Amino acid sequence: MALRPHWKGYLKLSLVTCPVQMMPATSENDKVRFHTLNRETQNRVVSHYVDSVTGKEVKEEDEVKGYQRGENDYVMLEDEELENVALDSTKTIDISIFTPRDGIEWIWLDTPYYLSPNDPVGQEAFSVIRDAMEAQDMVGISRLVIARRERAVMLEPRGKGIVLWTLRYGDEVRDEDTYFAGIGDKSADSDMMPLVQQLIKKQTQHWNPKMVSDPVQDRLLDIIAEKKKALKKPSKAKAKAPASAPPPSNVINIMDALKKSVAAETRAGK
Amino acid sequence: MVAPRANWKGFIKFGEVACPVALYTAASTSERIAFNTLNRKTGNRVKREFVDTETGDPVERDDQVKGYEIENGQYIILEPDEVAAAVPDSDKTLKIDAFIPCKEVDDVYFDKPYYLAPDKMGTDAFVLLRDGMKKAKVAAIARTVLFRRMRTVLIRPHGKGLIATTLNFDYEVRSSTGAFEELPDLKIQGEMLELAEHIIGTKKGSFDASTFDDRYEAAVAELVKAKIEGRSLPKKKAPVASKPSDLLQALRESAGIGGKTGSKPTAANANKSASRQKATKPAAATKAKRAAATARRAS
Repeated sequence: MALRPHWKGYLKLSLVTCPVQMMPATSENDKVRFHTLNRETQNRVVSHYVDSVTGKEVKEEDEVKGYQRGENDYVMLEDEELENVALDSTKTIDISIFTPRDGIEWIWLDTPYYLSPNDPVGQEAFSVIRDAMEAQDMVGISRLVIARRERAVMLEPRGKGIVLWTLRYGDEVRDEDTYFAGIGDKSADSDMMPLVQQLIKKQTQHWNPKMVSDPVQDRLLDIIAEKKKALKKPSKAKAKAPASAPPPSNVINIMDALKKSVAAETRAGK
Repeated sequence: MVAPRANWKGFIKFGEVACPVALYTAASTSERIAFNTLNRKTGNRVKREFVDTETGDPVERDDQVKGYEIENGQYIILEPDEVAAAVPDSDKTLKIDAFIPCKEVDDVYFDKPYYLAPDKMGTDAFVLLRDGMKKAKVAAIARTVLFRRMRTVLIRPHGKGLIATTLNFDYEVRSSTGAFEELPDLKIQGEMLELAEHIIGTKKGSFDASTFDDRYEAAVAELVKAKIEGRSLPKKKAPVASKPSDLLQALRESAGIGGKTGSKPTAANANKSASRQKATKPAAATKAKRAAATARRAS
């Protein structure tokens, strides 16, 4: 599958530089996609731009970015001009720091990309950087301009390539104390720990992408298939049984519930 | 202090134990530099309008409906209540289906993190689950209806609490194996690997993401200033890739070994404007050189 790279540039470690390309690790391609229709005519609806003053349609080639200088005062910026912005991080991922993977908590991970060499000439240099990180069990930290923002990025070797993560900004991650202060300093009841460990052990499985299937998308596809069969007939929504929430466990019966859970798991023959 | 507003309230259930919990947004997306779209010809702002492709008439929001294309130009219409009916009723319960070893978690699936905290009533059971998972070095997989979709979340201990991260659906994630399958099987060994590991050693440090500064906005402001003053910023030179035949030498020089002092770097045009990053580098390089010199003297 030939995917268009999202970004092309250079990966740099000290005096070693190699051409690389990057693409998002996630994709919308296989999501059920809807178009917007006009209910009355059933024709497609598209959006276009009109001039806010003259009301006339603006062609795509006439659209330009405006940097706001004051009220109703804009400086036009062409894409080529923006390329000259005085930051090397628009074109080069220069790894400045290496740190153990555990040093970057999961909460900082924002968006993953796959990074790979963009030219056979750089394959060896790319592999050197990747394998050295792997051997040292380290991730690399750098800066990169993506979508008009300079991001902190983390590079982690993965198989034959590198996963590049953009990291969240400091003001984007909320202070956990606000949410966790009410929990107090208690730790788990030591009498119950062995039981909870048993339960965890019995329910531990290997990661499997089936765990992230989307039943709703499947049902939408079913509805579409039904409607396709009988284009005129309205589909009937199935009556659903009301769901009930379980009662919360109170302090006294946690132990009982745990024992029951472990017993149930044991019966399940695991 | 005002209590933060929960995004979701319900229960977490492991085995037969259930405790009341709430989810709170742990990370938001901050604004990036905002450009407005202008009409190049008039300099006026533009605005978006929705029109019928055939008639060209504007279509009001209420008249817009979702259509699924079955074949060229033929659509199946789905009304909002039909889409809603496809979502199972919520039982308001994050039921833990499985625990998975932390090492096996494929982080590429991560979507958004939420702080997961107990209601007062549920603290004992909550703390038990948290400490149990911490000890067993596992994360939990649970599913529930969140924000009108059946979502899978990965739950793991974090400080005194738990973090629940929504996971992207299987069809939204490209496999890394697939993405990298066309790369050659190159395993680097010997001197090259040793040199690169040595370079990594000289750049070891800790990184605090919360202190990172986005320099882009300031750089654009500089660009705009230059444009207003009729100057143009110097064109940037493209970086030069290291030639395979020079790779070993570039590594040696980077590591400060066997390099002629003052020799020209093979890869030109290092980060000239990098501020903080640059500050750490000369020191590290000097240290490496010194270490290398000591090593040579010793031998």
